[in-house]
Amino acid sequence: MIETTQNAVDVQGVVKTFGRLRALDGITLSVRRGEIYGLLGPNGSGKTTLIRAIVGLLRPDSGTVTVLGRPMPELAVLSRIGYMTQAAALYPDLSVEENVRFFAAIYGAGRVDEVLRFVNLYDRRQSIVSTLSGGMRTRASMACALVHQPELLLLDEPTVGVDPQLRAQLWNRFQQMAANGTTIIVSSHVMDEAERTQRLGLILFGKLLAEGSADDLRRRAGVDRLEDAFLKLAAQSPRPGGDET
Amino acid sequence: MSPRRVRAITTRILSQFRHDRRTLALLFVAPLLILTLLDLLLRGGSSQPAVGVVNLDGGPLGSTIAARLLSSTLVSASATDRATAEKELHDGSLTAYILLPADFTDRALSQHELRPEIHLEGSQPGLSQQVLQAVSQATLAAIAALPIQGAPPRFNPMVSYLYGGPNLDTLDYLGAALIGLVVFFLVFVVTCVSFLRERTQGTLERLMATPLRRTEIVLGYMIGFTVLALIQSAEVLLFSLYVLKLYNAGNVWLIFLVAILMAIAAVNLGIFVSMFARTEFQAVQFIPLVIVPQFLLSGILVPVSSEPGWMQAISRVLPLTYAVDGLRSVMIRGADLSWPALQRDTGVVFGFCVLMVVLASLTLRRRVA
Repeated sequence: MIETTQNAVDVQGVVKTFGRLRALDGITLSVRRGEIYGLLGPNGSGKTTLIRAIVGLLRPDSGTVTVLGRPMPELAVLSRIGYMTQAAALYPDLSVEENVRFFAAIYGAGRVDEVLRFVNLYDRRQSIVSTLSGGMRTRASMACALVHQPELLLLDEPTVGVDPQLRAQLWNRFQQMAANGTTIIVSSHVMDEAERTQRLGLILFGKLLAEGSADDLRRRAGVDRLEDAFLKLAAQSPRPGGDET
Repeated sequence: MSPRRVRAITTRILSQFRHDRRTLALLFVAPLLILTLLDLLLRGGSSQPAVGVVNLDGGPLGSTIAARLLSSTLVSASATDRATAEKELHDGSLTAYILLPADFTDRALSQHELRPEIHLEGSQPGLSQQVLQAVSQATLAAIAALPIQGAPPRFNPMVSYLYGGPNLDTLDYLGAALIGLVVFFLVFVVTCVSFLRERTQGTLERLMATPLRRTEIVLGYMIGFTVLALIQSAEVLLFSLYVLKLYNAGNVWLIFLVAILMAIAAVNLGIFVSMFARTEFQAVQFIPLVIVPQFLLSGILVPVSSEPGWMQAISRVLPLTYAVDGLRSVMIRGADLSWPALQRDTGVVFGFCVLMVVLASLTLRRRVA
C-alpha cells in the first residue's frame, strides 16, 4: 500500500493523563519521512509516553496520532514500525540469534544474519543474552527492532548506559538507515546526541516547548550551547500546577 | 558484629513490608483463613455417610439392628427398599445400604451367624470403614440387648463393593485427585511467573508493538505450556499407575484428558492472575489464595458432600472440584464418557478453560490499552 502523505508521523493535540498527572498536554508535531527527529527533554517530561502513543500502546484521552498515513492504533501499521524500548527488552535465557529469530518470525522477516552483522553481533550470536554486557544487549535489542526493515523506527533513549565509542557507532548506523529512507524518532536527554538529529522537539511537562534544528534552537534562545538553549526555553515556559517534578 | 548494622537490615525489612500491604495481608490474614477452612471442613460438616437400611427380616433381630442404625451417630441412615437403595447407590446419593435378609434372625439362632449384607459404593475408603464400623456396633449392641443363651452368634457380614474393593487404600483414593492437583498447581505457578517475567523484562511491551494479536499471544502461551503439561501429565500418570500402582479401573486416555484440560485451565488462569501482580514475589502470593482454597474445598481430602452447606456452594464453583471428581470417576469407578457425571465434570472443566482463555485475552487488552 502506498500512502501519499509526506509525513511519517502526525501527532495532533494529544492529551494523556494518568490520574492527576498530565503526561501529554496537547502535543502537536509532525515527522517527515526519512528524517531523524529527536525528542529532547528531562526524565519524566513525557518522551516515553509520546513514543508509546505513537506506537499505539496507549490510547490518548484526546487528539489523534497518524502513522505512515494510518490513524493509530492500527495493527497493520505495526508491521512497518520498529520499536526499541528504553531498557533492552529481550529474553535473557535465549541466545542473541534466538531472540532475533523470534522477532523475525513474528514479523515474517528473514534477514537475521544480515541484521546481526549490521549491529556487529554476528560473532556473538550464540551467546545467551543474560551473559552479555549492557552495550551488547542494546545492540541485540536494536537487531530485534530492525529485523523487518521498518519504515519507521522509534528508539526510546537507545544510548543510555552505552559507552561513547559504541554511541558513535550506533549513531552512524542510524544515519545510514535514514539515508536509506527510514524515518527515525529518537528520544534522549543527552545534548550531544540531540546535535546529531535533523530536527528536535523540546519536551517539558508533556508540552512541546520548541521545535527546529539544533542551530535553530540555539539561535532562537540566543546562546551558543544547546544545553543552555534548552534551559533558557524551559525557564520561559510556565510550570504547570500540581506535584509533578 | 555490629548491632547497628544488624538493626539497619531488620528495620529496612520491616519498612519494606509496611509499604507492601498485600504481603502483610497475606502474612496475617491467610493463615487464619486457611485454619478456619480446615476447622469448618473437619469439624463443621456432617461427616456421616448416607446409608440406606433395607430390613426384610421377619424376626426381632432385624428390626432392632435397623433401629440402632437409624439412630447411629456414625452414619446418617434411613429406611428404604432394595430397588431404591440399589439405584441410589449407583447414582452416588448413598455411600452404602445394609440389607438384613428374611432369614436373618433364624440364621442367628440356628447357625449362630449374623450375616447382614453390606453393599458399599466403595470409592471412598474412609467412609466405607465408617459404615462397616456402624453396622458392627449396631449388631453387637442389638445382640447384647437380646436374651440369647450360650455363645453369642458370629458377626460375619457379606460385604460387596460397587467400585474399588477392600484393598482400595487412602493413596488410591487421594492419588486420583492428586494427579489433577499436581498438574494444576505446577502449571499455574510456572505460567504465572513466566508471563509476569514477560511483563517485567519489557518484552510484552515490545510484543504489543508488533502485529501480534492478543489472542495470538494467549494461544501461543497456552500451546507452549500445554506441550510441557502434556509431558508432565504423562509422566505423573505413568509414575502413579506403574510405580505407585494406584488403583485404576478406567481408561488411561480419559485420565489424561481430564489432566490436560486441567493443565490448559491452569495456563490461562496463570496468565489471567499474572495481570494482578507486579513482581514475581507477588505472583507467588497467589498460591495461598488460588491454590490452597481449591485444595481444601475440591473434595481431595474431605468429600464435598460432607462439607457444611454454604461451603459446598463454594466447592461447586471451583473447577478443581470437577477435575477431582472426574479423575475419581474414571480411576475408581471406571467411568467412561457415556456416564452423565463424567460428561458434567469434563464439560465444566472445559467450560472453565474457555472462560480463562477469554479472560486472559481480555485482561491483556485492558492492561495494555
